Amino acid sequence: MNQIRESLENIQASEELKQNTLQYLYKQQPGRRKPRVRFASAYAMVTACLFLLVGIGGYFVYRKPVSYISVDVNPSIELHINRFGRVVSTEAYNDDGRDVIEQVPLKNISYMQAIDKLLKDESYSKYLHEDSMLVFTVISDRPDEIVEELNDSELLQSYGALTYTSDSSCMHEAHQHEMSFGKYRTYLELLEYDEDVTIEDCHRMTMGELRDRIETCSHEGQTDDRKENHHGHNGNSHGNGHKCDD
Amino acid sequence: MVEATIKREIESPALNSGAFSVGDRRRITLKSAEEINCAMELYADMVRRICFVHLKNRYDTEDVFQNVYMKYMLYEGTFESREHERAWFARVTINACTDWLRNFSRRKWVPLEILDEEKETLDDTSAEILETVLKLPEKYRNVIYLYYYEGYSAVEIAGILGRKENTIYTWLARAKDLLRKNLGGEWV
Repeated sequence: MNQIRESLENIQASEELKQNTLQYLYKQQPGRRKPRVRFASAYAMVTACLFLLVGIGGYFVYRKPVSYISVDVNPSIELHINRFGRVVSTEAYNDDGRDVIEQVPLKNISYMQAIDKLLKDESYSKYLHEDSMLVFTVISDRPDEIVEELNDSELLQSYGALTYTSDSSCMHEAHQHEMSFGKYRTYLELLEYDEDVTIEDCHRMTMGELRDRIETCSHEGQTDDRKENHHGHNGNSHGNGHKCDD
Repeated sequence: MVEATIKREIESPALNSGAFSVGDRRRITLKSAEEINCAMELYADMVRRICFVHLKNRYDTEDVFQNVYMKYMLYEGTFESREHERAWFARVTINACTDWLRNFSRRKWVPLEILDEEKETLDDTSAEILETVLKLPEKYRNVIYLYYYEGYSAVEIAGILGRKENTIYTWLARAKDLLRKNLGGEWV
């Protein structure tokens, strides 16, 4: 054995080097890497799907109305409100109402802001005169909360607005007659005093005229307890409005 | 007889990067863990020594060492014998070292650095001899190592390095002269 060989005999691969290399090779094997890649991809996909579902779900939750406010003078407008208290859609049930919502954007703001904006807009405020009657009718799973907020509004108080509550079956019937559920509730109230009144008559009447008619009929010997469902700024009692037929 | 027709291994991007591509994964047939362990026991010291005579430090050595075994793991050819396999390892390791040193920044080769790392395992005589070997030009280091340590003949070395036999004889003669000059006449 020559001296070079003897010298080089001392140079050996350490166990650490061997083990590090074996571990490196083990990690580099496609079979070992593949599950990690697959898992990472699957994880990314699940996360993306989750975000997508949350996004879609959130969108539908946002878009879904859970409360409704019918605002009637002569223009009859319904505000459809989501669970966050935002107006997600509007619907007009007569020509005056259609003219107004074409001119006043009310979506994606809180319902109190929408009402404030509506009442202050010139296209709507022109209907608010001395003989008119501003009526708010609420359908919601938390009607008292909304009614209380409406009653606390100084702007609504200044117009002597009346507030009522109604229910979804009443709204369904109202829409079948192409009428806002607020005006339809008033029609049903009038119907109790005047059996001859028709839905067509109501279509042609403003809320002020309907209220006058009710007042007139009620003073003509009808019972006075019909106002017990009414709770507005004028101090009348309130209730759930008039029940609709099933 | 060592197979004299071992071709220079083609560098794979996957090997250089230390990662597989999807395409590589489809093509390659991996060596089994048993084959790799066996090759580790048989050739690790040789690979380490070839790295020693070429590379600057243990960090470079570890990188090249791993690359050599990675190439082995991915090698799809068959070996006719252990000698054939051993010659393959020698050839691939020399090429891996050469390629490693092609990087200009790694050209600043300091033989004493790697000797310092091994000083605990070397006596003074061995350290002096190895220092002299490490100071030889790269081509001489290869033939000296293969000839004196691995015991390959000039013909076999020609096959491993892909050079003519006469070239190997010339390199061997010149390398011996340099060693004799630096170490004295009795070194071998």
